[in-house]
Amino acid sequence: MSNVSADLIWEVVRSQNAFLVKRKNSGGVQFSRDPLNLTNLHSRKYAGFVNDKAVGVVAGENGAIQVISKKVSAANKPASGVTISTIGASKANRKTYKSIAKQLAKSGYRADLRQAAVARASALRASQRPVKPTPEPKLRGNAAKKAAEKSE
Amino acid sequence: MLPPKEFYLPVCVPISTPAHCPPSIRQNTVKMVAAKKHVPIVKKRTKRFTRHQSDRFMRVDSAWRKPKGIDNRVRRRFKSNLAMPSIGYGSNKKTRHMMPSGHKAFLVSNVRDVELLLMHNKTFAAEIAHNVSSRKRIDIIARAKQLAVKVTNAKAKVTTEV
Amino acid sequence: MASRPTVTVLGADGKATGATEVLPKVFSAPIRPDIVKHVHTGMAKNKRQPYSVSEKAGHQTSAESWGTGRAVARIPRVSGGGTHRAGQAAFGNMCRSGRMFAPTKIWRKWHVKVNQGQKRFATASALAASAVAPLLMARGHQVSTVPEVPLVIESSAFAVASKTASAVGLLKAVGAGPDLDKVRASKKLRAGKGKLRGRRHRQRRGPLVVYSATTDGKDLVQGFRNIPGVETSPVDALNLLQLAPGGHLGRFVIWTSAAIKELDSVYESKKGFFLPSNVVANADLTRLINSSEIQSVLRAPKGEAKTKRGHVQKKNPLRNTQVLLRLNPYAATFKKEKLGEIKAEGKPTRVPADFLGQLKE
Repeated sequence: MSNVSADLIWEVVRSQNAFLVKRKNSGGVQFSRDPLNLTNLHSRKYAGFVNDKAVGVVAGENGAIQVISKKVSAANKPASGVTISTIGASKANRKTYKSIAKQLAKSGYRADLRQAAVARASALRASQRPVKPTPEPKLRGNAAKKAAEKSE
Repeated sequence: MLPPKEFYLPVCVPISTPAHCPPSIRQNTVKMVAAKKHVPIVKKRTKRFTRHQSDRFMRVDSAWRKPKGIDNRVRRRFKSNLAMPSIGYGSNKKTRHMMPSGHKAFLVSNVRDVELLLMHNKTFAAEIAHNVSSRKRIDIIARAKQLAVKVTNAKAKVTTEV
Repeated sequence: MASRPTVTVLGADGKATGATEVLPKVFSAPIRPDIVKHVHTGMAKNKRQPYSVSEKAGHQTSAESWGTGRAVARIPRVSGGGTHRAGQAAFGNMCRSGRMFAPTKIWRKWHVKVNQGQKRFATASALAASAVAPLLMARGHQVSTVPEVPLVIESSAFAVASKTASAVGLLKAVGAGPDLDKVRASKKLRAGKGKLRGRRHRQRRGPLVVYSATTDGKDLVQGFRNIPGVETSPVDALNLLQLAPGGHLGRFVIWTSAAIKELDSVYESKKGFFLPSNVVANADLTRLINSSEIQSVLRAPKGEAKTKRGHVQKKNPLRNTQVLLRLNPYAATFKKEKLGEIKAEGKPTRVPADFLGQLKE
């Protein structure tokens, strides 16, 4: 409808919405839980549910990464309004980034989000790796001496 | 630097973990992700501003109240009197709200809150809210570890008495 | 966004029946959160019941002030003796068992009159907002499984909805299931005294089912009324408190096809009310700015694409090699040939004696 645009929606929604997370500390940070938000920052550029074209990068099952993007033609059809492409866990990281960059920038969909999308995919890939066990803390000073005594 | 394992292993035979060190502690003494490089944090003043005459009367709390009296010498900024807070004491905007580690604190109550920090683990550190149970803290800490998010109070309520 | 004059009608299984309905004109009303908020605050007050403390509270004593000269405050004090109460201060709000400050009265202004035109404007605005998917999401409705917004379902599908189980089945079939789950999971104990006053729990709001009382009948109300969060409303009695709960735009509304058909006539029958029109015909700022009409009258940007900085921070040439080279191009050769590291050969010769004399001349 011509009376509704992303600009208008943003003005309606920017002060309060279901995705917004406000904290009083750190100078009142504002984050967003929107899955279509690449940086989780509450801002016009990254507010995916507001913009006609938006991209989300989320973790899929078994180490996969899902790239969600909105269809401009189906703005009022939530169920069919998104395309989800899954990048499997076996795909190399660089190829993953390449395919994301291709999808966003080369096709002219949202070139401005390329860097953020690639960064998010990279962060997700890093988080999907198995967590290394923490190394044993090295005892120092008196504690080390005591431990040495005990072991003898 | 410690010598290689083979070198010191035969000397001190039982190298197993000391009994007083439960595994939960070991898990939480994690060297979390370092903060982004930043200009040095300068605190122009580290002492608190105390209320005028709070040192003289029990009933006057030390919490700062601006003196309003017409003759008040603190208000008139006389020599060798208490300093009053002013905007000039403010920190550099770039380091404001920063902890010594270079992170800013972000209060989390559940795993979903931690996930917000996925892209901000170099600027924000998670701080688990006081009313989160130890069972849920374990989930939060585990998820934070996956996302390389620093948890400021990772040891609280989770570690057992030594 | 392209103009979308029609909306598809879904069947009981959530699939499109192939029929479409022309979208009523209300849906192009301006979206005005300020007006909706203001009208909502007024209307929300109209269901209040008066309350107050007892008129007598804190005044059921014959206290009198002792006056000055007794080295006590001049507050009224309870007369008499033989009890601890005697001589204690009374009446004042600062006193134990005194009356409260500004005791509440039943003649407080409980209700607010909101002009009918404003109410109708706000309702139209809330209706328009209920057709915008991002606003529904912003309100917190789980609509990602909903095929289309506004959601219109064939009236015949509601024939079975007089039983709650089949009504739930219908809602789930049309993709409203996640919203129902959200409501069910959100039920929490209310904080504070409201628990004792018939407001024990708080929970989210789910979808609002709008039906046509004349064609759909009222049987479906009984089917939906016990589903948590779901409300029903006849199309000729739409209420802002249901369309924008809390004054927040974007309620998830499920229409019967008969109701959406009737909506235009409902607004036509409102005498003396014309649907509000948009001040700005096209709200898309980027499109406005990039339109040929605006671009053709814009002046060309002045200067170059990259502006030179007025002043730059001074760099120390002794630390910054690039700045040093700019000042002294010879520095490169000096460094490359290591001229600075060459030791002077032989012993330094003495300054000639007449030079010192020359200096002091």
